[in-house]
Amino acid sequence: MRRSSPPWFVAHGLLIAAASLFALPLVWMLLSSLKPAAELAADPHRVFPREWRPANYLDAVTTMPYFQYLLNSLVLCAGSVIGTLWSCSLAAYAFSRMRWPGRNAVFGLLIATMLLPWHVTMVPKFLLISELGLYNTLGALIAPTFLGDAFSIFLLRQFFLTIPEELSEAARLDGCTEWGIYWRIILPLSGPALATVALFQFVAAWNDFSGPLLYLNDPARFTLAYGLEQFVSSYSSQTNLLMAAAVLFTLPIVLLFLFAQRTFIRGIATSGLKG
Amino acid sequence: MTKREWKQLVAVVALVAVIALALRESASSRVEIPAGRSEVVFWHFWGGKDRPVVEEICRRFNASQQEFFVRPIAMPGNNLDLKFFLSVAGGDPPDLLNQDDPIVADWAHRGALVPLDELTSLTEIDELSKWLFPAAREIGSYNGRMVALCNGLDIRALYYNGDLLAEHNLSPPKTIAELDHAARTIAPPGDASLTRYGYLPDPRRLWSWGIVFGGEFYHPSSGHVTADSPQVIAALDWMASYSRDYGADQVARYRKGDQALPGAAFPLLEGRYAMLMDGQWRVSEIAAVQEAARKRGEAVPNYGVVPLPALPDGRKNAGWVNGNFFVVPRGAKNPRGAWAFMKFWSGFDGHEDEAARACTAGGWIPASQHVVEQPRFQEYLNRHPMFRTFVELAASPNQRPTPAVPGAQFFQDEVTRAAEDAIYRSLPAEQALTEATRRIQTRLEAERDAPQ
Amino acid sequence: MEHSTRHRRRQLRQLTAALPFLAPWLIGFATLIAYPFIASLFWSFTSYDMLSPPEFVGVENYRRLAEEFVRGERFGLAVWNTVYFALVSVPLSIVLGVALAVMLSWNIRGRAVYRTLFFLPSVVPAVASSVLWLWLLDPQAGLVNYLLTGAGLSGPGWFNSTAEAAWPLAWFRGTWGFGSKDALVLMSLWGVGNFMIIYLAALGDVPVQLYEAAELDGAGPLRRFWHVTLPLLTPVIFFNLVMGLIHAVQAFTQVYIVSEGQGAPAGSTLMLSLYVFLAAFKYLEMGYASAIAWSMFVLIVLATWGLFRSSRYWVFDPSGARL
Repeated sequence: MRRSSPPWFVAHGLLIAAASLFALPLVWMLLSSLKPAAELAADPHRVFPREWRPANYLDAVTTMPYFQYLLNSLVLCAGSVIGTLWSCSLAAYAFSRMRWPGRNAVFGLLIATMLLPWHVTMVPKFLLISELGLYNTLGALIAPTFLGDAFSIFLLRQFFLTIPEELSEAARLDGCTEWGIYWRIILPLSGPALATVALFQFVAAWNDFSGPLLYLNDPARFTLAYGLEQFVSSYSSQTNLLMAAAVLFTLPIVLLFLFAQRTFIRGIATSGLKG
Repeated sequence: MTKREWKQLVAVVALVAVIALALRESASSRVEIPAGRSEVVFWHFWGGKDRPVVEEICRRFNASQQEFFVRPIAMPGNNLDLKFFLSVAGGDPPDLLNQDDPIVADWAHRGALVPLDELTSLTEIDELSKWLFPAAREIGSYNGRMVALCNGLDIRALYYNGDLLAEHNLSPPKTIAELDHAARTIAPPGDASLTRYGYLPDPRRLWSWGIVFGGEFYHPSSGHVTADSPQVIAALDWMASYSRDYGADQVARYRKGDQALPGAAFPLLEGRYAMLMDGQWRVSEIAAVQEAARKRGEAVPNYGVVPLPALPDGRKNAGWVNGNFFVVPRGAKNPRGAWAFMKFWSGFDGHEDEAARACTAGGWIPASQHVVEQPRFQEYLNRHPMFRTFVELAASPNQRPTPAVPGAQFFQDEVTRAAEDAIYRSLPAEQALTEATRRIQTRLEAERDAPQ
Repeated sequence: MEHSTRHRRRQLRQLTAALPFLAPWLIGFATLIAYPFIASLFWSFTSYDMLSPPEFVGVENYRRLAEEFVRGERFGLAVWNTVYFALVSVPLSIVLGVALAVMLSWNIRGRAVYRTLFFLPSVVPAVASSVLWLWLLDPQAGLVNYLLTGAGLSGPGWFNSTAEAAWPLAWFRGTWGFGSKDALVLMSLWGVGNFMIIYLAALGDVPVQLYEAAELDGAGPLRRFWHVTLPLLTPVIFFNLVMGLIHAVQAFTQVYIVSEGQGAPAGSTLMLSLYVFLAAFKYLEMGYASAIAWSMFVLIVLATWGLFRSSRYWVFDPSGARL
């Protein structure tokens, strides 16, 4: 690729300046989480801790039931990833690999639902889920993912469309049913797309704040996202613990991202480009 | 992601889950309910150093009898109203709730609460009513019925930094004029580099100052909102005079951080103010700081507290009072257990000594003079003279709660918003309060018309 | 006749084949979208508190909305705050996203490291980033104001201030400054990584020949960017504009946390999304909250429609096909 770039020192200069601005808040969070409370109060602007206090992390995980919250978060994430993969791949298959009357219109409807703010459906949905006896269970947050969501269906459909139709045709000639094609041909070929959807859903469930805020009332069932907010409101003056808790909450997602960077980036690029 | 990475990832997540499960089990402190007892699920908003005190009360209650077993669940205050309401709507409410927002009337109006007379006889309710401080009785009542049991009062007064006042040859202010003089002596207006103020108004405190200035926010017999009465306007205009002197943006910048949620540090102790209105819960914080200085062998900093300064011939010992209260939601599974526990904590029905024990441990103001008179509590007052100021204020008729009207939460928020507009955005006090009053009045009338 | 029956029968067969695949989503659509959609529309014409049955009140809720809007009270304020936030944060994030993507497309070493650093903040959960920025932007103890003061500037009030930096009239009133909404904008710009990745991918798709041709014509780097890169990016910019707007209007978690759940200070962070929430669960007016939510929906639909209408004037599409 031949592309004009400014001289290397200008380029690096600009990039380093921008990158430090982006990294600074995270570095600051990390350093603040390692300072003793008194030092933070007396001299909030000092960069490196005079005294390193990793015990803040121990305090943070014992002050709030961190591992309980973590477990709940993981259950929520796992459940909603499974739900999303199941329901969305099925629907995406129907929207991309099958022909049926009204398909385009229904697909348009699916896309239109992305415009609907969750606030509109908030209260009726709450009452419905309570009727089903799911209030105050993680099921209230997991069950809806088994019923599909527009964004993931859209993403999978875009990918399914790129798989050559001849593969399906050949399978049909061999007497394979639609289920067989879905299960034996399309899904195995869609690993990257499924991984992308799984990652996005994992992150969404991990970060979900309004869900637990509305549906969970037993602290034994809180997730980390909500638990952290509770922590904020109870210990707002202990910035060092707050920052330690925030690091503990952010770290898994950051690691996940570093681990699966390519999948993330490909997924984002796909969702943006094929619009 | 390759297949291998994918497998690795699942393995890592599974591993983390197993570790979390193991650590949770080892750290689990969930108490088993003893056989033959019925559980009382008890939500409360207490955090920080109060939480262990609450847990100790529950433990003592559980040890005191064989019928009920209280399980305390701590829910920090900022989402508690929402959680509680949704738990009633979602059909899985707790048996008992303790918190302090002015929302009893709102909930009672909508039938979300079990009135206390459904839990016990009317005679006992009568006795309870006589037993409580007047303010506590008012906080728990809606439409002439007891719907909540107030178990402690929150009183506000003016804390001061005695060393700073002495430095400027000032004494603790007794009148508004003295307060103004002291504030402007310590922090002369026009100096842009100020890092310490004598006093700055907090918009949430318009309720207090409005009452001090002789105002009423509500006229019960006519049902009129009177937040735009001349006295309340005068109070707000006086508060806004600090914005005029120091700059609205400066006041906003300096103040808002202090309003952070419960548990925030006391700005008076940080040396940012010479005088500050706050509640009785700061007494123990001050005592701790003084004790620490004593231990280190340093000069003990001098702090004190006085009732809110008054106008000449104005209301003395006045202010806005709120309280912690117990409510039992509709749909509670164990209302009898809830009633037994709330009596135990509040001290009613022969539990006065138990309540005195709780109040001294937590630094709380009892809801009844009978608890105040307990030897255990009197001894506490002797040890903490600053606290006595608050307890004496609790009995003052000039301590007024938020009116018990449906939409009380809206009422309170609108008044605070009007104060914010005047103090932070330089809106004339009269305009801000007139508009707020109109909105509250409309809302109140809509509430009264609504189905119950 | 014979043909059309057969045609219809085939369609029916196709439908019955597709239906099982669609079933989960269809059930979800009916129960979690269509029913709540209609229910909340109905409730927006009622007085309702979830505990007792709704009572029909006609257009009263909408009349109240109109009144508050005209008077510039809560609803008016919420519309203003939402529009302000969306109109400031979305264009800025597009400019910043494109700028970062262009920088990353330069042919230099260490691009992966830079890309990671730019992208990382966008995966930081909103709860954590809100807590972090509250601390960074604290007027007294925060790092940002400390650095600004060190540079000889007076630090803004950020989350403590009602000022609006993008509101030109404030210049004349002498009340100009960076306030709570600007702090939220800053937070959203920090998380611009998502957008940046999309631009980066689009930049990779630009045929190199176009640049070479432009260079042969004697176009400098700026003109090449303006006449080649930017037009080719417009379809992606359009997509991000639509998605960004939808997200900005619905922003909730960060607004809820930085505003102490009530739009502090002085209602300057009371966005529509927060107002719906407060009306429903703090003031227990589900009917009124439904009306606010519906107005929010209408706002999103209108904005999307407007963007689609405008797209034909500025979105470059070489194939001539509509988006």
